[in-house]
Amino acid sequence: MTSNPMEQFTVYKIGPEINIAGINLSFTNSSLFMVISASIVLLFLFFGSKEKKIIPSKIQLIAEMSYTFVAKMISDTAGSKAKPYFPFIFSLFMFVLFCNMVGMMPYSFTVTSHIIVTLIMAIFIFIAVTIIGFIKHGFKYLSIFVPSGVPTVLLPLITIIEIISYLSRPVSLSVRLFANMMAGHTMLKVFGGFVVSLGILGGWLPLSFSVALTGLEILVAFLQAYVFAILTCIYLNDALNLHH
Amino acid sequence: MKSFIILLIAVIAINTNLFAAEAGMPQLDPKYWASQAFWLILTFTILYISISRFYLPKIKNNLDNRERKIKDDLDDANKFKELSDIKLKEYEKIIENTKKEIAKMYLDSKNKLSKDIQVKKDAMEKEIEGEIYKAQKEIIEVKKNSISSIKLISEEIAANIIENLSGDKLNTSSVKAVIEETSKQNLGKHL
Repeated sequence: MTSNPMEQFTVYKIGPEINIAGINLSFTNSSLFMVISASIVLLFLFFGSKEKKIIPSKIQLIAEMSYTFVAKMISDTAGSKAKPYFPFIFSLFMFVLFCNMVGMMPYSFTVTSHIIVTLIMAIFIFIAVTIIGFIKHGFKYLSIFVPSGVPTVLLPLITIIEIISYLSRPVSLSVRLFANMMAGHTMLKVFGGFVVSLGILGGWLPLSFSVALTGLEILVAFLQAYVFAILTCIYLNDALNLHH
Repeated sequence: MKSFIILLIAVIAINTNLFAAEAGMPQLDPKYWASQAFWLILTFTILYISISRFYLPKIKNNLDNRERKIKDDLDDANKFKELSDIKLKEYEKIIENTKKEIAKMYLDSKNKLSKDIQVKKDAMEKEIEGEIYKAQKEIIEVKKNSISSIKLISEEIAANIIENLSGDKLNTSSVKAVIEETSKQNLGKHL
C-alpha cells in the first residue's frame, strides 16, 4: 500500500543519454510510448487502406469509419473551408486517441498525462490558428475580440475578457487533456492500492470500483481525444469564418 | 457502506500525504521536458506526413470509388428500368395489335362462312324447287294418265253392268259418250 500513485508518471531514460547542444534529448519511456502509439496508428491505417474492396473488410471499415467520423466532425464545426486542415486534425485525433488508449494498458505509460506534451500540442494549435486567422483576414482578425451587439459601455470590459479567454485557450486545451488523463490514472492506481491493502476480505469492493473505473477511463480516453480534436476545429472555425 | 467510505477517505488522506511528502507530480519535473518535446514533434511530424501523404488519399480514393460505384449502379438500374418500361409498352402494343387482328380474323371468317352458307342454301333451294317442279309435272302426268285409265275402266264397267242387267250388248260409242259426260261433271270434284 505504500506504492505511490504518481510513480506511474515518472519519466526515465531508455538507452544512452543524448545531448544535443547541451539539451538533454534522451530517448525515454515517454518517447517509447509515443513511437508505439504512432506505430499502431500507422499500422492500423496501413492495413485499413491496403485492400480496396467495394465491400470493406473489418479493419478497412474501421479505418473508413474513423475517416468519415473526423471528416464529419470538421465539416460540422468548421465548414468546408477547413478541408485543407483535415490531415492535421485527423492525425491529431488519432495520435491523442491512441496515446490515451495505449496508456490504458497495464504497465504502460500515458504520454498525454504529461502537461508538457499536451501544452506543446495546444501551443502549436494556438499559434497555427492565430497565423491562419491573420493570413485569411489580416488585421480584421482582431475583430474576434470585439463581439457585435454589445453595448458601448461594456465594450472595453468585454474586449479584455475576450482577449483573456483567447489567450487562455492553449492552457485550457492542454490542462483539460492532461488533468483528465492524470486524474483517471491516479484514481485507478489508488483503487488498485486499496484492493491490495484491504486484502482478500475487503478488497472486493474497490476491485469492482476499479473495474467500473477502467470502463469509465476508456470512455474518457476516447472522449478527451474527441474533445481535443473538436476544440481544435472550433478554434479553426473562428479563424476561418470570422462572424462574431 | 458508511464505514467503507470513511475508510476510503482515510486511505486517500494517507495516500495524498504520502505523495505530497515524496517527489510530488513527476509532470512538473523539467528534467525531460526538452526530450519529450523533441520526441513528440519528431513522432507527430512523421505520423502527420505519412498519414497525409499515403493513407488519407488512399482511404479517400477508396470511399470515392465506392460512392461512384453505388451511383453508377443506381444509374444503371434506372436505365434498365426505363428500358424495361419501354419493352413492356412494346409488348402491350403487340398484344393489343394481335387482339385487333384476331377480332378482324374472326369477323372475316364469320362473314365468309355466312356467305358460303347463303350460297349453298340458295343452290339447295334452287335444286329443291327444281325437284318440286319435276314432281308436280309427274303428278300432273300421272293424273292425266289416271283420268284416261279411269275413263276406260268406267266404260268397261258400265258396259259390263248394263250388259249384265239388260243382257244386251250396248253400243260402245254411246257408253263412251255418257262416261265422258259424267266424268266431265264429276271428275273435277274428285281430282
